[in-house]
Amino acid sequence: MTTPLLLAAIGLLALGTVGAAGRSTLRAALYAQAAGTGLLGLAGFWMLTAGTTAGSAFASSFEPRFGVDGLTAFFLGTLGAVGAPALLFAARYLQDDLRGRALGVLTGAFALSLAEVLCARDPLTFLAGWELMTLLPAALILVGRSDAASRHTVFLYVAVTHLAGAGTWIAVLLAAHAGALGGHGALARGSGLQIAIALTALAGMGTKAGAMPFHSWLPRAHPIAPAPVSALMSGVMIKVAVYALVRVLVDWLGVLPLGIGVLVLALGALSAVGGVVYAIFQHDLKRLLAFHSIENVGIILLGLGACLVLRARGADTWAAFALGAALLHTLNHALFKALLFLGAGSFERAVGSLELDRLGGLLRRMPWTGGAFLLGAMAIAGLPPLNGFASEWLTLQALLHVLAAGGIGDGLAGGLALAALAATAALAVLCFVKVVGLVLLGPPRRDAVAAAVEVAAPMRAAVVALAGACVFLGVAPGLLFGRLARLAPWPARAGTAVGLHLPGTGSLPTAGLAAVLAGLTAGLVVLRGRRSAAPAPTWACGQLVEPRLRWTSAGFTKPLRLVLEAVLRPQREIEVRREGGLVRQVSYSGHVPQLLDERLYRPAVELALGAARHARRLQTGRLGTYVAYLIALVVVLLVATRAGVIG
Amino acid sequence: MSAASLAVQLAGGFLLAPLLPGLVQHWKARLQGRRGPTPLQPYRELRRLWGKSVVDVEGAGIVYRLAPAVAAGSVATAVLLVPVAARAPALGVGRDALALLGLLALARFAVAAAAWDTGNGFALMGASRDLTIAVFVEATLVLSVAVAALVAGTTRLTGIVAGTAGTDAWSNPALGLGAVAFALVVIAETGRQPVDNPDTHLELTMIHEGPLLEYAGRDLAFLHWAAAARHWLVLVLAAQVFLPHPRSVWEQLAVLPLVLAALCGGLAIVETLTAKMRILLAPRLVGVGAAAALLGIVSWLVQS
Repeated sequence: MTTPLLLAAIGLLALGTVGAAGRSTLRAALYAQAAGTGLLGLAGFWMLTAGTTAGSAFASSFEPRFGVDGLTAFFLGTLGAVGAPALLFAARYLQDDLRGRALGVLTGAFALSLAEVLCARDPLTFLAGWELMTLLPAALILVGRSDAASRHTVFLYVAVTHLAGAGTWIAVLLAAHAGALGGHGALARGSGLQIAIALTALAGMGTKAGAMPFHSWLPRAHPIAPAPVSALMSGVMIKVAVYALVRVLVDWLGVLPLGIGVLVLALGALSAVGGVVYAIFQHDLKRLLAFHSIENVGIILLGLGACLVLRARGADTWAAFALGAALLHTLNHALFKALLFLGAGSFERAVGSLELDRLGGLLRRMPWTGGAFLLGAMAIAGLPPLNGFASEWLTLQALLHVLAAGGIGDGLAGGLALAALAATAALAVLCFVKVVGLVLLGPPRRDAVAAAVEVAAPMRAAVVALAGACVFLGVAPGLLFGRLARLAPWPARAGTAVGLHLPGTGSLPTAGLAAVLAGLTAGLVVLRGRRSAAPAPTWACGQLVEPRLRWTSAGFTKPLRLVLEAVLRPQREIEVRREGGLVRQVSYSGHVPQLLDERLYRPAVELALGAARHARRLQTGRLGTYVAYLIALVVVLLVATRAGVIG
Repeated sequence: MSAASLAVQLAGGFLLAPLLPGLVQHWKARLQGRRGPTPLQPYRELRRLWGKSVVDVEGAGIVYRLAPAVAAGSVATAVLLVPVAARAPALGVGRDALALLGLLALARFAVAAAAWDTGNGFALMGASRDLTIAVFVEATLVLSVAVAALVAGTTRLTGIVAGTAGTDAWSNPALGLGAVAFALVVIAETGRQPVDNPDTHLELTMIHEGPLLEYAGRDLAFLHWAAAARHWLVLVLAAQVFLPHPRSVWEQLAVLPLVLAALCGGLAIVETLTAKMRILLAPRLVGVGAAAALLGIVSWLVQS
């Protein structure tokens, strides 16, 4: 019953991909893509709810196979939930674009490649989809922009994801060689092979997910893609990497040694805190959002790490809850990050540049997009009663149970992770107060912003639908959470209710909380009454608040920059120009350098380039030298054979 | 029994909360050799503000107008969440200690966003400092709650109150170290010296008072009530979790007012003895609390 639905959805998506090549059919084709992706998502959620599977199961042989199980169904649902609004948005967004047709074809192909990775049931199909999923966004960025900086960024993106992406190949091929695809308990606990697969998977798929310290491509590549593609990349592509990690670490490898779980916790804590701290100091909206993707992948990894540690400790019930928390946050982040990227795309359409200090007042000028953006910002900041709060609460509870699970070392790791997650949530509030304040509130900061008007209906509908999903999953996360916890490959007991009622917690009746919050707030609004005095100007000790007195992104985050100075090493330059004793001009520039880039990657790149310079001496260009190389090689081989080293 | 504790929770949280900052101010004045205002002064101020009309700031929009209601609404929800004794029915919002974190963050978000809406530099200064310090406060709060949850074996607040009651829980240093951490959370959340100075209206040193500058009338009354209710929340948690308390629910209810008064006295003494520290040093002070709570966690893990 579900197989025809899935095939129809894929068929519609493929039809939309082909149709986008036609000048007159572009818009209809993009609607078809949106409908196909949406149908795919519906089928996914339906299969997750009904607990059915389709197609074949995993096999370690190399014949192409496709299939859908619970985990795949959930991620197909995520793809649909983000892809449908993003492609609907694209239908209007790409319409006026000169390169719209090429971009339309590539977005469809990109969605198809994501579905391929999710549905692949053999190593070859999986890896082929994985490569397509990496290369198609690179092509999309290159078609969309052709300046040298973008080309360099794409080169960096492809280089980093391929160098570290080798880890994915090694992990999948090793697992296939051991016959471990699909689990079957092929690997002994703590065996060298099991640990090797886990570590290579963490490096390869962690890079694709954007986890620190493998993240350096992400904040560069995500912002320069067209808005719907950014939404697909941040919303779905890095989630597909999370899918692969869950598949390998939880599904295939069986029970892992404790150390791997602690390592995942450490990566998660680093990504969460590092991602949000660097996001705070960004002054471009899309770049800031890209850094937040790193933060949220960190939160997902914290849930996953808690799951692995708890599983190693034998606390299976809470291990399943931790897995459910990680998966729920995956969907939640997909929703609000897509919403924020699409909103940023609308703002960019309406006003041009997205430099944070030169926006302002857009909530009043673009009420639909602005209102949805405000909800998305509150959701990503983890505020009740929205979805980010529900999954962060679950992750906090899971980490608390890591503490209670027994060991001293992993308990301490759990405590540190707990503190890191709490600090991350508070930092996200700081960051999104800044974003909301600079983008949506206050007076407009330049003329183009003052003249901004609301975007076209499909673009509005996309963000409003995503905001609705954020509210729905905030009010009723339990409908999904129980099913996600039961996706664990070990027997897990988890009920399905509207709220989150877990043993050993005070339970989070999300619907009740939302109703009480809304009711009390509404009551206070009524009590406040409508009587108000004449509007007064903002108080600034009697001064007028002129444009040059307005607060900036850098100003608002200065206390944090000063507090973290010892760690972040911010750089700043102040130049004062005096004429005849009078200060004529003060120019200020400051930035927070990427420590990992400067301390880890730059030395590595310099080392590699230095080695390459030495190696270049081998290439003389003279025929005689090359003949000598060949003879030397033959002699070495002969000697080695004679000595019995080879053969 | 549960009806009584429910009554104390609602009456205390909603009606008696302004008495707590009033008591602190009263005793602080006494300690400084002044006569000072009566403990009922916050009620008088609330009554005065209630009769005045609100003021809209030119150019500010719906976020500015809704923020006081959202802030007070989320703190009021938190009042419903935090029980005063080991036995009290849940009020549809659960009883989970970690949910408190989200509610307090929502209040902070609303007030800080309103500061951006008005564009008032002093409000933004206060908001940015408040949010910066909150990073460290939230980490410390979670860690101290984690200590209590480890000792009690649950994050259900009524369960925590029951699990930390009596003297057995105090045989391990964990709860004591958690109490040190929570003491710093109390000082930071109530906006007391040495982290913040509730008396000052010198703009350059304000934290919590800053974002309130533009508000008047009932808006300001909501925000003042929310600040008082925050006193109630953290002091009740301090009294019923991080200080020794009796096992029986009746005794818990009987002792609570005395302990709350004593804690207000303690805050007055701290305020009198310490000067406000440089704002950028406050995170370090709160960080000491986080370290203490981590030590508490380790000591619990080692012993169990």
